[in-house]
Amino acid sequence: MDPATARPAVVIDNGTGYTKMGFAGNVEPCFIVPTVVAVNESFVNQPRPRSTKGSNWLAQHSAGVMADLDFCIGEEALARSKSSSTYNLSYPIKHGQVENWDAMERFWQQCIFNYLRCDPEDHYFLLTESPLTAPESREYTGEIMFETFNVPGLYIAVQPVLALAAGYTTSKCEMTGVVVDVGDGATHVVPVADGYVIGSSIKSIPISGKDVTRFIQQLMRERGEHVPPEDSFEVARKVKEMYCYTCSDIVKEFNKHDKEPAKYIKQWRGTKPKTGAPYSCDVGYERFLGPEVFFNPEIYSSDFSTPLPDVIDKCIQSAPIDTRRALYKNVVLSGGSTMFKDFHRRLQRDLKKIVDARVLASDARLGGQQKAQPVEVNVVSHPIQRYAVWFGGSVLASTPEFFTACHTKAEYEECGASICRTNPVFKGMY
Amino acid sequence: MILLQCPCRYLLQVLKTQVQNLEKGVELDCQWVEFDDVRYHIQATVKNPNILLLSLSLPTPPPETVFSGGLPQGAIEAIKAAYGVVLQILDPPRDGFNLTLKLNLSKMPPDEEHKQALLVKIASIREVVLGAPLRAVLKQLVSRGVKSNLNKLLSLVHRPNESFFVVPQADKVTVIFPMHFKDSIDTVLATSFLQEFVEARRTAGLGNAPPCLWSSSPPQELKGASEIALSANAGFVSFVIFPRHVEGRKMDRTVWSLSTFHAYVSYHVKCSEGFMHTRMRRRVESLIEALDRAKPDSERADRPAKNKLSIKDGRGSFNSR
Ligand SMILES: Nc1ncnc2c1ncn2[C@@H]1O[C@H](COP(=O)(O)OP(=O)(O)OP(=O)(O)O)[C@@H](O)[C@H]1O
Ligand SMILES: [Mg+2]
Repeated sequence: MDPATARPAVVIDNGTGYTKMGFAGNVEPCFIVPTVVAVNESFVNQPRPRSTKGSNWLAQHSAGVMADLDFCIGEEALARSKSSSTYNLSYPIKHGQVENWDAMERFWQQCIFNYLRCDPEDHYFLLTESPLTAPESREYTGEIMFETFNVPGLYIAVQPVLALAAGYTTSKCEMTGVVVDVGDGATHVVPVADGYVIGSSIKSIPISGKDVTRFIQQLMRERGEHVPPEDSFEVARKVKEMYCYTCSDIVKEFNKHDKEPAKYIKQWRGTKPKTGAPYSCDVGYERFLGPEVFFNPEIYSSDFSTPLPDVIDKCIQSAPIDTRRALYKNVVLSGGSTMFKDFHRRLQRDLKKIVDARVLASDARLGGQQKAQPVEVNVVSHPIQRYAVWFGGSVLASTPEFFTACHTKAEYEECGASICRTNPVFKGMY
Repeated sequence: MILLQCPCRYLLQVLKTQVQNLEKGVELDCQWVEFDDVRYHIQATVKNPNILLLSLSLPTPPPETVFSGGLPQGAIEAIKAAYGVVLQILDPPRDGFNLTLKLNLSKMPPDEEHKQALLVKIASIREVVLGAPLRAVLKQLVSRGVKSNLNKLLSLVHRPNESFFVVPQADKVTVIFPMHFKDSIDTVLATSFLQEFVEARRTAGLGNAPPCLWSSSPPQELKGASEIALSANAGFVSFVIFPRHVEGRKMDRTVWSLSTFHAYVSYHVKCSEGFMHTRMRRRVESLIEALDRAKPDSERADRPAKNKLSIKDGRGSFNSR
């Protein structure tokens, strides 16, 4: 038997904003780090020396090799690029899709050797991808994992399916439901039936965590708060994560703020990055206006105006008719941007309203002879929502079936990267 | 990152958060595995946030390596010397582990600097335990006392069922690593990496580093070692350690670098493979560009620009959705 199956699998959920990594069987990822790489590119663009004689060439060559190793990821990368201009930041994932494979490979390398500090040959790996990822991208991932890191086995799971599996321990495992995954760079509403994604019904929304941050940044700037411009995005993000909440009605909320500003207006304190001088600013309406972009997108964007509850309803309505009741009953939240206080309440209420209105309308059409059975709407929220995808991965990768569902190094060598295109749904998922 | 750091990053993070949240207390039960099959398990309860249980499992030693009581020789003494009252060794250890320690955070030194240093030391537990026998040998080199085991071949475990060898002499210690790799490509890369490594040692500026040698056949010191140890597929590396390499604060680093030498080589082999792929991808991209440029103008004109051949093909259609 492969000794690697006796060790916990490595679970890495690469998101646009943050990467969650750890070992299967644990309840929390070991590290949550920003998905960013700082690379020293001072050697890449240097002209090649024409003559290859002398120690000069050798010195330059070895300096180039050192520069290859001179990069870092996560918080370190952000700090490094602030303090020195020789490093360029590169974000390998955009909108949930890997865009820069070189940076991604380096990112993984650091995750494995510097953060988890494990030998990739010793562990099976579970990686995640967005529901819209193309099979080619899975081939690249497989190539990197098997060729560079020599992993003994690999499974690439779809993020929303894992988010559903995260409910595994909290209740009975329910692998039918709609996953509302609102991350940093992508928002997807994904119906899943018995562990299979209903691909044709996936709905995507061009608004996600980064947009909320941008909106808050814009609101604060327009009000004339004195935040240093180079820091304003970071400040907006922190304000969002610390102070934002979902309100039940904007007009009422404006009134509340106006009546009792002392209770609702918060203070943000920071220091200017250049001079180190302290400053402070107010946090006001943006506390509830930020999350409101999901429910009234027109306040932020002029091209997209469908509220999130409507999108969820449309998604379920486009799914096969025999799954719809089960889908309404299990709307599962996942991703950091669903962490706003009362987000699930608001979603539950608005979705229920849409469904009830439809039932009423159909009752009226039928003239009261037949009453439709009421539809149960249930928006599920759990405390590990922020890294639900990772947690689901951790649960699934600790079942014995996981190891049999993985593609192994031997299979890869036999058939090539194309085996990574499909990853079977396995028992434990349903 | 060029060298592997000594403290376990995750363990250090756990310890730091635990120390910061002593009043609140966190429920904790977590397992993980580091390179060379070192497993950790850490446990804490809300009820008693001052107490942490830390268990460690080590790579299985090959038959020729001596363990006493499930631990490398001298490990118990090394733990006691390094941590004093903060740690207590529990006997027997947790099932499936070689060692279980009870950490009492209320006994941490009060001043911040010492506290942080001690946390880093606790996070370096694997070096203290696995490096104990090597440290004993190297210590003997700088001490004036009677020397034991002179010219005897000692074997010390560093990977599951694999060990490296140490020959203590009066004025130096020879350390020999048989290098095994599973994958054939790794073996080739490691072999050339090691040859280059030995070459690099000869360049000016490294005169004070330990002399090192690589050979494809077992050096004569290994006479009498087991068949498995002698069947290394990437050759044998030997270092000669002199007293100047283990003086004072250099000791810790030398012990760590030697006991993780295989992991270090393996990491750099993986890095090289990564960089080769990066360069190969760049090359393919530039060749495809050249092909594109070579197309007659008419053909290029009736294709929209985004339909250009590219490595990123296939994803394009999805991204534009
Ligand atoms: N407590 C919080 N309240 C509100 N937003 C939060 C909170 N914590 C994190 N976020 C936001 O959630 C986003 C990160 O979420 P997540 O880690 O799920 O995204 P991701 O997986 O990196 O991205 P994606 O899934 O889109 O590729 C960030 O925009 C972050 O600001
Ligand atoms: Mg995500």
